Amino acid sequence: MDSGILISQSDKRPIYLQIIEQIKRRIAVGDWTEGQPIPSIRQLAVDLQVSVITVKRAYLELEREGVIVTQQGRGSRVAADAGLGKRLHQEELQKHLEHAIRLSALLGIEPEELESRLREASDNIAAKEIK
Amino acid sequence: MTDLAIKFESVGKKYRYFTLEDIHLQVPAGQIMGLIGPNGAGKSTTIRILMGLIHQDHGDVRVLGHRMPVEQVAAKWDIGFASEDMRLYEAMTLDWHMRFIRSIYPQWDAAYAQLLLKRFGLRAEQKIKGLSHGQRVKATLLLVLARRPRLLVLDEPTTGLDPVARHEILRELTAVMNDEGRSILFSSHNTQDVEQISDQITFIDRGRVIDSMDKEAYLDRWRRLRLEAPSGIALPALPGVINIRQTGRLAVATSNAFVPGIASAYENSGARVQTIENMTLEEIFVAKVEHSREEHEEVGA
Amino acid sequence: MKRSVVQAMILSDWQRHRTLLLLSIVSGVLALALIQVGGEIPFILGATLFFTVMIVFGCMLPPSNIINERKKQTLPFLMSLPISAMQFTTAKIVSTVGLFLVPWLALVIAAMAFIVGHRGGPQGIIPVVLILAAAPFVGFCVIAGVSLVSESEGAMIAATIATNTSYGFSWYLLVRNPVIRADMQSREIVWSREVLTVLSAEFAVIVLILGLTFFLQSRKRDFL
Repeated sequence: MDSGILISQSDKRPIYLQIIEQIKRRIAVGDWTEGQPIPSIRQLAVDLQVSVITVKRAYLELEREGVIVTQQGRGSRVAADAGLGKRLHQEELQKHLEHAIRLSALLGIEPEELESRLREASDNIAAKEIK
Repeated sequence: MTDLAIKFESVGKKYRYFTLEDIHLQVPAGQIMGLIGPNGAGKSTTIRILMGLIHQDHGDVRVLGHRMPVEQVAAKWDIGFASEDMRLYEAMTLDWHMRFIRSIYPQWDAAYAQLLLKRFGLRAEQKIKGLSHGQRVKATLLLVLARRPRLLVLDEPTTGLDPVARHEILRELTAVMNDEGRSILFSSHNTQDVEQISDQITFIDRGRVIDSMDKEAYLDRWRRLRLEAPSGIALPALPGVINIRQTGRLAVATSNAFVPGIASAYENSGARVQTIENMTLEEIFVAKVEHSREEHEEVGA
Repeated sequence: MKRSVVQAMILSDWQRHRTLLLLSIVSGVLALALIQVGGEIPFILGATLFFTVMIVFGCMLPPSNIINERKKQTLPFLMSLPISAMQFTTAKIVSTVGLFLVPWLALVIAAMAFIVGHRGGPQGIIPVVLILAAAPFVGFCVIAGVSLVSESEGAMIAATIATNTSYGFSWYLLVRNPVIRADMQSREIVWSREVLTVLSAEFAVIVLILGLTFFLQSRKRDFL
């Protein structure tokens, strides 16, 4: 099973975090559905050409968050949790918002200004889509 | 308790100008261990003791359960060895070498050998002297990989290779992990390779093992903190921070035992923590060696 | 086809020296053909070629088959095979001496056949020819043993020079002995006490040298 995951060298974050993020994204967009089997730790390690221990760490973290389930001898699968995809999408949105807030603080932008800029950007995108 | 593919206990070897001391090392079966360290640190010596090619002065070495160097013949049936200073017979073809190895080892996988020829872009009928450096390295590794040995011991397997060849090698090395019973120990200057595929990392410097542990845990202990320190603020010396470099209002602190408390301690002292970054293995390597050299000089002074 | 590692190594050494082997056989045959032709000059040419082939071939083998393993860095490749240092030594001695024996035996047998075939000539020369022919063989074992144990090109060269210069001196000492000189010219083969002593001494040196080589190799602790 081709995981479709790609580790980027230029991404400064640790590999296990990249794996976690990409698995969550796959689930969020619906490529991997609830209950679906996913590559075993070893299979993914070979596929990505990374150490088994790194994939193991990613899987353990994902299991801790309830995103996947690993059973001894049965491999791993996406957690059977209705709304998991949506939940992950929400998580990602939250992260983006927090990132935007941190950047604004750095630039000295007030929350009100951030809000109006958000509206402006939203309108721009809507306008482009109409065209 | 998992089987140990490799076990070094209190191993030492004395040379005229160099001493290998108190080497402890463990590689559980099914794992990849990366060996890093500066030139002359003792990596090659350690690997040769592992292969039984050098007798240690004292200490216990077990490889795949066999005591080395006494039981080296039994061990070498299941070990595939390739080192950077190793050469094949120049006047003979790659095919001749393949037939030579095949005549000795029953586990030679001819189909896999053909596949590797294709993947590595090698022609078996070519003489070794006609191969480029990269092709030679790949040819040597092919001879070792096609036997599917239980343990691969590689001294600088990707040194001097172009990015494509490196990628081809890493692909085959990680593919070994499909079999839980197979292990790899490799030494490399290419810290990126070590960082990417190792389960365990051992750091050797000046004949001693400085660190030997789980790669993820090791990388997790190190951070680089970028600080903004308004003038007049003296940055405190904190345990777990081995280096601070300050120019003007900006400072960079390197921590080898990071806990969130360190960031708070800086914040409390009046500085602002801009970012906390993970470090690559290469950055850790350089920081470690520089730090230990400084310490060594202080002690000597 | 599965072989023992020692067998595989010996075969490998022979395969890698097939050109040298062929050349030595061809030169040997040429030398003998020249001797057969008859006449003084062809005889001298042939005899010189005969000895030159043995000595030169003997000089080329230890560097190529023994010293080169370290020089050309193929030693790690061999030592990573499932063999012990003693098995390695055995394989190298057998293959190196074996490679030398091929032209040597062929030449000695042919020379014997020639002498025996020439009913008219003094058969008494046979023991002396044997002693003469054995000398390069003894020298060869010395050079091979020194090369293997010392792994040093310098030591090998020293041993080669020492053994080669000893041939002439030994020949001088040999023919000074009146018994041997007399028996050389007799029509029949005479196995005198002197001749047998020399032959036994040559044989003893070979055994001693090879034994010493194995002993010293077994004491080595580091192979790379």
